[in-house]
Amino acid sequence: MTLIRFRSLSARLTVQFALLFAAAMIAVSATLSTLISGAASRQVESQLQSSGAVYDRLWQMRSSELQNAGQLLARDFGFRAAVATGDSATTLSALNNVRARLNVGTAFVVRVDGRATGISNPEAARLWKSLDSGHMSGIANFGGHARRLVAAPVLAPNLLGWVVFAADLDQREMRGLERLSAIPLKANVLVRKDGAWVEAAGQAAKLDASATRTIDKHVRSQSAFQLKVDGEASITLAKRLPTFSGGDDAVLLLAYPKARALAATRRLQWTLAALTIIGLALMAFATWRASGRITRPLARLDEAAGLLAAGERSEVRVEGNDELARLSASFNDMAEKIEERERKITHLAFNDVLTGLPNRTMFQRHLDQCLRDMKDCPTTLALHCLDLDHFKTVNDTMGHPAGDALLVAAAKRIAQAGRGHFVARLGGDEFVVVQNASDGPNSVDQLARDLLKAIGHPLEIEGQQIVPSTSIGIAIGPIDGTTTGELLKNADLALYRAKEAGRSTFAFFEETLNERAQERRKTERDLRVALEDGQFELYYQPLFDLERGTIGSFEALLRWNHPTRGQISPIDFIPIAEDTGLIVPIGAWVLREACRQAIRWPEHVRIAVNVSPVQFHRHGLHEIIMQALASSNLDPGRLEIEITESIFLKGSETTLKLLHNLRALGVRIALDDFGTGYSSLSYLQSFPFDKLKIDRSFIQNLLTRPGAVAVVRAITDLAAALGMETTAEGVEEQSQLTELRNQGCSSVQGFLFSRPMNATAVDILLGVKNDIPGRGKKVA
Amino acid sequence: MPRLMILLLAFVGLVSPAQAAPFTVRVVDVSGRPVGDAVVTVRPAAGARPMKVGRAFTVTQKNLQFHPFVMVVPAGATVSFPNLDSTKHHVYSFSPAKTFELKLFAKDQSRSVRFDRPGVIALGCNIHDSMSAFIIVTDSAWTATSDSKGFVRFPDLPGSAAAMTIWHPYLRAPGSQISRPLPAGETSEVVAVRLRPPPMHDMSGY
Repeated sequence: MTLIRFRSLSARLTVQFALLFAAAMIAVSATLSTLISGAASRQVESQLQSSGAVYDRLWQMRSSELQNAGQLLARDFGFRAAVATGDSATTLSALNNVRARLNVGTAFVVRVDGRATGISNPEAARLWKSLDSGHMSGIANFGGHARRLVAAPVLAPNLLGWVVFAADLDQREMRGLERLSAIPLKANVLVRKDGAWVEAAGQAAKLDASATRTIDKHVRSQSAFQLKVDGEASITLAKRLPTFSGGDDAVLLLAYPKARALAATRRLQWTLAALTIIGLALMAFATWRASGRITRPLARLDEAAGLLAAGERSEVRVEGNDELARLSASFNDMAEKIEERERKITHLAFNDVLTGLPNRTMFQRHLDQCLRDMKDCPTTLALHCLDLDHFKTVNDTMGHPAGDALLVAAAKRIAQAGRGHFVARLGGDEFVVVQNASDGPNSVDQLARDLLKAIGHPLEIEGQQIVPSTSIGIAIGPIDGTTTGELLKNADLALYRAKEAGRSTFAFFEETLNERAQERRKTERDLRVALEDGQFELYYQPLFDLERGTIGSFEALLRWNHPTRGQISPIDFIPIAEDTGLIVPIGAWVLREACRQAIRWPEHVRIAVNVSPVQFHRHGLHEIIMQALASSNLDPGRLEIEITESIFLKGSETTLKLLHNLRALGVRIALDDFGTGYSSLSYLQSFPFDKLKIDRSFIQNLLTRPGAVAVVRAITDLAAALGMETTAEGVEEQSQLTELRNQGCSSVQGFLFSRPMNATAVDILLGVKNDIPGRGKKVA
Repeated sequence: MPRLMILLLAFVGLVSPAQAAPFTVRVVDVSGRPVGDAVVTVRPAAGARPMKVGRAFTVTQKNLQFHPFVMVVPAGATVSFPNLDSTKHHVYSFSPAKTFELKLFAKDQSRSVRFDRPGVIALGCNIHDSMSAFIIVTDSAWTATSDSKGFVRFPDLPGSAAAMTIWHPYLRAPGSQISRPLPAGETSEVVAVRLRPPPMHDMSGY
């Protein structure tokens, strides 16, 4: 069965069952046929046997009839007298009389002394011995033909001789026998002539050697056998007939033509064969139908599974309540769930989980599609890139749930304001709106303003009121870019500009923005080699201690002497160094260099070094400071680390721990740019800074802006109360100095006293002991 | 048969007479069993002496049988056939030596027949097929019937050479008899003969 591989279960079932049934049916039919055949053969044989018995009986009856007649004649006194006295004429007439009456061919008398009446003496001599030894009946070859001889002794009372009748075994006699049979038999008497059997009637040719052998064999076994008789295959039975003399041999051959004998059986067998074929056909059909019923649901399932695999929707019809029906129902269930999962997965793949807006991937696809469409049909689109202002602060100060709430609210507002346009969240606090801008620049402006306005409504999160805002960068396609990447990059640049412009505004992309970005990339590239090439240099700006009237410390300021661009401002490269992480090795160098210089100074002069939040948030700052101190052998108390409040925005726990460790070493900590940004008094409580540096914005407007003095006063008072020193930055005018001194500021820094100077200048300056130029100037 | 007899007699006549002596013949069948009712006739070469016709010969019919079955009589003897049965008999003979019929004679009737020619007379009854008897008419004094042991004794057979004939009703030979020469001085002889079954028992069958 495995030799054939079926493509369909139905075909396999059909073939397997049909073969099985067919084998069983054919076996049954064959057995039946054999049985019928056997029974028919046995019946024919038994008919032959009984016919044989009938023939036997007929033979005997005829023999008896002849013998009785012979005996009657032999006992006739007159006949005996005629025989005894040799009265041939009388004897012959008596014989002829009887012959006619009995309808026998020949009748004659053989005398004991060998003489005969009715036949010639030599013929009689052939029979004498058999007669003398008591043979009274049988077949004998007589007068050139096989004849049945029947004899009766003539006694007077001693044996005188024998009356013998010789009956011809002719066709007539045989047909007479045949008519008496119940079945259409052919009866033949065969005699042996020259070793082969010959039909006694003399018509048929000699039987061949093999037929002779067959007959010889079956004469002994008395069983039926097959033989061709008169050119017709027949079932035959051979019965030995008594012979008159030893040399003769005769059999009665009863033949039943096979075609006629088995005609009924053949009909039965044909009927059986026809029934078998019809049965097989019916069975094959029934099996095919049944297997179809079984496999149709399976085929439907197979098809449905194929559709499902191809990603198409598929449902199987459920019929009945059997296993297959349940399987179909389960399949439908499964298909439905798969579909739903796919929907979810697709949604997740293309939508942002938090806001439900399309995500970056979908945005990319959408914009790609729009740009492709634009090639066929020239239109304009505007890409609005939104970045929430100060989102980081909200997230860091109020926690991620608050940040998430802000994002969700913002997303809603953007979606609302940007109705009819494609809105997506790219990640973090970045959103985009893709606008069809074919209506002209005014509609782009309008949408940007709508977005700003929508975002700008106050919002309550966790009980606190926030006024969110956003900056928007806009790039116009295809003018500002023909690819998604280009457009997005340029919109981002515009966004930067909007941020720079003071946030809560929007900016269009301009080519200059792109140039700045390229410059920034160049700077970044150059920064990587600057440290190794020794292009950095430290400048030092003195801080004057107002109480003691002397230089208390220098603030180390980094200068980059670019080989081609000249001096580059820290404002231009520090953010880049921070972004790229280059600030860490640069900062380490600054610390080492500052300490190395400071050790040469008088012991009361401290060195102040700015440390970036990036350095704080990278591991190893503590070790860098320790190394710088150790290698320079500088007293930790002479090193002052200046930090900005922004270091607290992220991971304030570790920051505080690091600050405490530095304090424990003896390193001083100053809070730079105090009063700007998100200054919180809580920092002052959480860490005991050594110094607050009042941001230059307060100092610049000290004498012009109302209330500025009060703010400075408040700071100095606060610092004094907390035991901290204060330094005023950016002091440029004498009046400012006077006011700061009045307000209790501990020290000042600024051009009024000194611009930053190189190490050599510092050495020269410090070489002049107690020479305070500022005071000199001031005094002057 | 008569021709044969004449030849035998001529032969016997040439033999010279010799001293008489007892002679015994035993007749047996091929399996050695004694054969009774065999008639042995010896004819000396010197010539046979006729048997004396001295006494009466009788073949009775009793119980549907002839008695005796075989009887030797001298030529010229008269045999009477008394019927002792309550039925009638029809005694006949088709034998060439004497053909006669004694038609339907009843009980206690007796008929006589004179047998002049030597030979075998087969007796039958036309009414009763089973009745059979033989009368041997002989011209030699040395003719006798074997007893139940098959013995035939001649007390005074001449010592010269002789011819001996043995006859039996069922003997399987032409004329139901065989002959053989008997050398001079022979005192005993055993003759084996082949017999047919009695014909009456062979009537039925195929």
